[in-house]
Amino acid sequence: MNRYLMTRQIIFAAALLITFGVFSWTVSRLLKYFSFTRSGFPVKNLGKRFGVMMEVAFGQTKIFRRPVIGFAHAMVFWGFCVILLGSVEMVIDGLAGTEKALRFLGPVHDIIMASGDIFAVVVAVAIIIFLARRLFFHIARFEGIEMKKRSHRDANISLSLILLLMISLISMNLGYLGHAKASGTAAEGLYPFASLLLVLFPGITGEAHHVIYEASWWTHILAIFFFANYLPYSKHFHVFMSVPNVFLTRLEPLGKLDNMESITKEVKLMLNPETAYAAAPADAQVSRFGVKDAEDATWKNYFDSLSCTECGRCTSVCPANITGKKLSPRKIMMDLRARMKEKGPLMAKNGRESSDGRSLLRDFITEEELWACTTCNACARECPININHPSLIVDMRRYLVLEEASAPGELKSVFNNIENNGAPWQYSAQDRMNWAKDMEVPVMAELQARGEKPEFLFWVGCAGAFDDRYKKVIRAFAKILNHLKVSYAVLGTEETCTGDPARRAGNEMLFQMQAMQVISTLNGYGVKKIITACPHCFNTFKNEYPDLEGNFEVTGYIELLNEFIREKKLSIPASALRDIKVTYHDPCYLGRANEIYEEPRNILKNLTRNLEEMDRSKSFALCCGAGGAQMFKEAEKGEKEVFIERTEDALKTGAQVIATACPFCMTMMTDGIKYKNKEEEVKNFDIAELVVEAMGI
Amino acid sequence: MKILVCISNVPDTTTRIKIAEGNASIDTTGIQWVINPWDELSLTRALELKDDKATGVSTVTVAHVGLPSSEPTIRKALAIGADDAIRVNAESSDAYFVAAQLAEVAAKEGFDMILCGIESSDFNGSAVGGMLSEFLGIPSVSGVSSITFEAGIPVLTREIDGGREAVTVPAPFVAVVQKGIAKEPRIAAMRGIMLARTKPIKVYEPVPVEALTRVESFEKPAPRPACIFVDPANPAQLIDLLKNEAKVI
Repeated sequence: MNRYLMTRQIIFAAALLITFGVFSWTVSRLLKYFSFTRSGFPVKNLGKRFGVMMEVAFGQTKIFRRPVIGFAHAMVFWGFCVILLGSVEMVIDGLAGTEKALRFLGPVHDIIMASGDIFAVVVAVAIIIFLARRLFFHIARFEGIEMKKRSHRDANISLSLILLLMISLISMNLGYLGHAKASGTAAEGLYPFASLLLVLFPGITGEAHHVIYEASWWTHILAIFFFANYLPYSKHFHVFMSVPNVFLTRLEPLGKLDNMESITKEVKLMLNPETAYAAAPADAQVSRFGVKDAEDATWKNYFDSLSCTECGRCTSVCPANITGKKLSPRKIMMDLRARMKEKGPLMAKNGRESSDGRSLLRDFITEEELWACTTCNACARECPININHPSLIVDMRRYLVLEEASAPGELKSVFNNIENNGAPWQYSAQDRMNWAKDMEVPVMAELQARGEKPEFLFWVGCAGAFDDRYKKVIRAFAKILNHLKVSYAVLGTEETCTGDPARRAGNEMLFQMQAMQVISTLNGYGVKKIITACPHCFNTFKNEYPDLEGNFEVTGYIELLNEFIREKKLSIPASALRDIKVTYHDPCYLGRANEIYEEPRNILKNLTRNLEEMDRSKSFALCCGAGGAQMFKEAEKGEKEVFIERTEDALKTGAQVIATACPFCMTMMTDGIKYKNKEEEVKNFDIAELVVEAMGI
Repeated sequence: MKILVCISNVPDTTTRIKIAEGNASIDTTGIQWVINPWDELSLTRALELKDDKATGVSTVTVAHVGLPSSEPTIRKALAIGADDAIRVNAESSDAYFVAAQLAEVAAKEGFDMILCGIESSDFNGSAVGGMLSEFLGIPSVSGVSSITFEAGIPVLTREIDGGREAVTVPAPFVAVVQKGIAKEPRIAAMRGIMLARTKPIKVYEPVPVEALTRVESFEKPAPRPACIFVDPANPAQLIDLLKNEAKVI
């Protein structure tokens, strides 16, 4: 018997050693690949990260965005956590030749064993559901151009392995309990499900139970060892990677794009007359702007790609993908992983600079895919493990624009317009105050000349200045400001584009030139507080200018209106609007980007008793199709325009008014209503216009 | 093959032009200057030809007649991709003056193909290209909307009434190009912007040229009268307006 035990221990130790050996080799390869990637953000804020990890990873909060199947997954996740403790005990037992080594924990051990026993069944049921979904049901999000035969096989193998683990665990518990009962020894731990099985199958002998136990024990532990080494090579690597990936979440607001320091350096040199035409200093050397290949991505992009389990939730909410365009956020992640797998070994052998004549851009991800993104952040918001796809997409656009001067033709015109006349459209800055015709609107330069200083700078935005429809919205909002005697001023002809469309279209250089110009103008006037009327300007001021030393207290007009109502400065009388059915379309840059969902709804509830939500609303809201500089270009090839899809959402509610809070959304929804020939029945208004209408000012 | 692209420095197309006091000049305060759009397209096409190794285009040079204040526009052309630049240090007075100065530097430096935009968006004289070829005594082709290379020879396509005409001319020559020569203007890549800071700009002093024209005065077109809206319930007013105001019936 001793000899048997010793052999058993030796075999186990050898298996464990092999497992760790192979695993370490895999990890060392991956670490090597990580060393090729670009440095991303530093990992700070450990407390906050721990909170996010507890909430999103252990709390499974984002998986519950799809409640039913999310619940099944959460069961599997929590089951794994509990069963893992049992596996630790098995490893100790295997090495030390003990049985139930953690028994000294007493009741805690009982609980671990009991919950593991129950969860084994729960997980097995969930896995059977998952397998059935994959094998017998046609689930749209499991399909797509990136989903090859391999991806499906990979999923089925992983699920089958987990099922094997659960079945072996159940039979192990059954054998253990049966053998203990037959031999008259007390079983360590509680096994409710195994007890039930024992009652159901009373005919099994004690000896047979022992065989079942031994066989199951080995099957279970060896399957774990195999699984551990299979995972890193499969889509199911997320079993290891997802919790750390959530811990390493990019903590910035979704709307914020990272600043390119290399460009900041360059812009500063250019803006300084002393260095503008001098030779570039040695420290300005940058090997590549933006992302062309796997090694240009940040470590976090690569981490994201390894953590992705190809669930396709990102793709299923992507407005471009929904409307038949080629972009699939899941594919972006899968491609990065695949490309590193292809190029990593080459770089490991010949150094980071080595090339195989292929690249992530073009050989894996086409320009068409990249230009289809609206940067609406639905993918990043949806990802259960906080993968951030848009930042990588924009980084690849940055490569195209900054290194190759390549962009869709309309966007090149936008760049030229912003550079030459300070707006994405070709309008003269001299016309920036046309919206304020016959209105009293204070202008900063005039106030300064009189020695006055307003509390707020009201940033009108290019759409407010030049788009005939949005001019009316700005007039409406200015009327409210005047009505409440708010101390404010506008820049007037001194205003220029914040650079948002340029940045999202990849032209970081132009963005920063604009940003620094705006910041210096505002600082020149000593501006501290800004009100913005466009969510894109709002996002840029609030989240992106601080990186360029533009620190202002930024309030969106919706937040401000809501505050006026809350403070009872603004009281909205009951009006004809009260009985009109209104639906609200969340602009991405107010909603997902900056988490402003309740303020606009609160204002609307003061206007109408009949606020109807669309099926996709708040953080689930579908983009109008205009973000990420899409406003200024033709949509990529697809089956449908995004704005039509979104207008259909709105029309489905039966609302007579579609309320918006963004100039681009307004253009899109108004166009959508026209396209659907619903101009008579349905109107599109901005929230500010509705407030003015109700107040009768 | 060396290409010279002549560039003009013009107010951005959205500029509200103001006439300076005395009506003899344009008030240039606050104007954003850009490369003349036709010249920008010429430059784009020249660079595309250079990118195509089969054409044998070795360098693309830009030339401009203007004061040091126009240097940002020249740097922009260098950022977009021109290899080097020439500036004739003089304020351009008219097409004759500009063509004479350009002819001088073109003769000195020697080019195989000279591209001029069909007009400049400021004074729209449409004369420099033709004059330049006359000064140099070389052929010129006008209204060129496409330049391609066939077996190393540039083929120039012109839009003519009801069709297109493809011509070849012995180098060196001047091509006066119109829109269509390139799909859209090329934008500057980051490397281009960085390199442009140190790319050479050769400055020539102007040669004396007889002044042949003198601006008497500038005047703006009369502003468009406001649109009159007629109430649909009042057709009599419409008829009255058409009869007495518009005088069309």
